[in-house]
Amino acid sequence: MFSLRMALNSIFREIWLNVISMLSIGAVLFILFSVVIAVYNVEKLTATLPEKLSVMVFLREDTRRDEARALESAIKSENIVKSVNFISKEKALQDMKGFFKNEKFALSGLGENPLFDTIDVRLKGAGSSAKGVNAFIEKLKGMSAVDDVEYGGALVESVYSLKNGLRVFGLTTGSIFALSVIFICYSTVRVLFYRHEEEIEIYKLLGATKGFIRSPFFIEGSIIGIMGGAIGMCFFLAISRYVFGKLFTEFPLFSMIYVPDRSFYILPVMGFVLGLGGAVIALGRLKY
Amino acid sequence: MIVLEGVSKRYENQDALKDVSLRIEKGEMAFVTGPSGAGKTTLFKLLYLAEAPDEGLISIAGFNTASLDDSTIPMLRRNIGVVFQDFKLLNNNTVFDNIALALRIRRVMEREIKEKVTAVLKLVGLRHKADAYPLTLSGGEQQRITIARAIVGEPTVMLADEPTGNLDIENEEGIMKIFKLINNKGTTILIASHNRRLFDNTGRRVFYLDGGQLVKAEVR
Ligand SMILES: Nc1ncnc2c1ncn2[C@@H]1O[C@H](COP(=O)(O)OP(=O)(O)OP(=O)(O)O)[C@@H](O)[C@H]1O
Ligand SMILES: [Mg+2]
Repeated sequence: MFSLRMALNSIFREIWLNVISMLSIGAVLFILFSVVIAVYNVEKLTATLPEKLSVMVFLREDTRRDEARALESAIKSENIVKSVNFISKEKALQDMKGFFKNEKFALSGLGENPLFDTIDVRLKGAGSSAKGVNAFIEKLKGMSAVDDVEYGGALVESVYSLKNGLRVFGLTTGSIFALSVIFICYSTVRVLFYRHEEEIEIYKLLGATKGFIRSPFFIEGSIIGIMGGAIGMCFFLAISRYVFGKLFTEFPLFSMIYVPDRSFYILPVMGFVLGLGGAVIALGRLKY
Repeated sequence: MIVLEGVSKRYENQDALKDVSLRIEKGEMAFVTGPSGAGKTTLFKLLYLAEAPDEGLISIAGFNTASLDDSTIPMLRRNIGVVFQDFKLLNNNTVFDNIALALRIRRVMEREIKEKVTAVLKLVGLRHKADAYPLTLSGGEQQRITIARAIVGEPTVMLADEPTGNLDIENEEGIMKIFKLINNKGTTILIASHNRRLFDNTGRRVFYLDGGQLVKAEVR
């Protein structure tokens, strides 16, 4: 209780230093959170990408129906495959006729069915990598009954490398920003500690324990961190309300940005952890 | 209660204490005197562990000072009430908070703190100054606040360094009465002072320091 009072006292006595620290932490945490949200959104959008693309396996003309069925179940047993759908050339033609039913002339020239038996393969989204998908495609192409395979491989590959790059970027910037929050708290607590050096000397002479002397600074570091996090959260809420609001109406693409519900409550918590960490480092080598 | 054996302390190239041995019994009230620079304050600093001796052994309140670590030093200091020659008051805390600090570091409940601080303030005659700040007080008043802070925690040993240096005779007598009162309750007291009035005709032991050496010990 007394430690808390001392911490608050100390914060108010150096109010500007503390406000500036809180604002900087707020700004840094805001950026950090934005990066996390950006990475998260890309992850989310691309996670289902392979699922959305289908792999069309065209079978050789001379493939017998039982061979085709065997192939279908072989593909289905692959780990990476979510579902398979065999489309016989008769079915394909029927579909096509249905599609062009108002323009019968478009198909009038067709004598014998010119279409192929195909297998429509859907892949699992999660846990698949570009490499894995490519290997699978190669495997399909090597099968005797397969004539050709169609797949948006290049797109997937570029999306995957973008995703990887973004992950690395997010991780590095994230760590740098987290470190700078720790550093801001560290130096603030250091400054406050030196401002109170004379008092601390007296506390020690009266018999104060290390814990007693340190706890106000730990509390102070935590408060600075929490307040910084709260400020960052406010930045984020304000910006997502006013800026995104405008962007949504002008560029509908932005409305796809998804911020997990209430996830911004993490900011004060992060501020707390990093602020306390900074304070602990700042007082780490307190001597008697 | 306080034992020094062959204690020396050197600052840069000057001996502040040289081969001092003395023993103060439990419950005793004794005095240290000697000219300015004799080493009185240095002796006290060694006793409350603000300094470590270069040679010799010191034991106080049952602790051997050489064998204490960071976690036991605070415990020892809580057993020793010190009246610092330079007061060491917190100038941006009130008189009440200054005295209360000695109890707050022991995590005493605020209600109890209020009672005890009020009682010692009354004892030193400064109850009306509870909300004042040290720098608005006279030297004598600051000194009495320092004494109040030293006794509020009911220490087993009291070290008072020139505790009446800024007091008139009337206040001096008042403070000495308080020391006797505490001493009668069993607290061991060591007082450093130039002021002979404090110990003449008291029947107490007086240690004479000069140039860092213990030159004489006698009962006055
Ligand atoms: N921190 C220090 N650094 C260097 N020399 C010191 C230090 N503290 C004390 N001294 C020296 O040690 C000697 C003893 O000092 P001390 O303060 O113990 O004297 P004292 O007996 O308390 O004097 P006074 O009666 O004036 O208070 C002095 O000569 C002083 O200059
Ligand atoms: Mg002195």
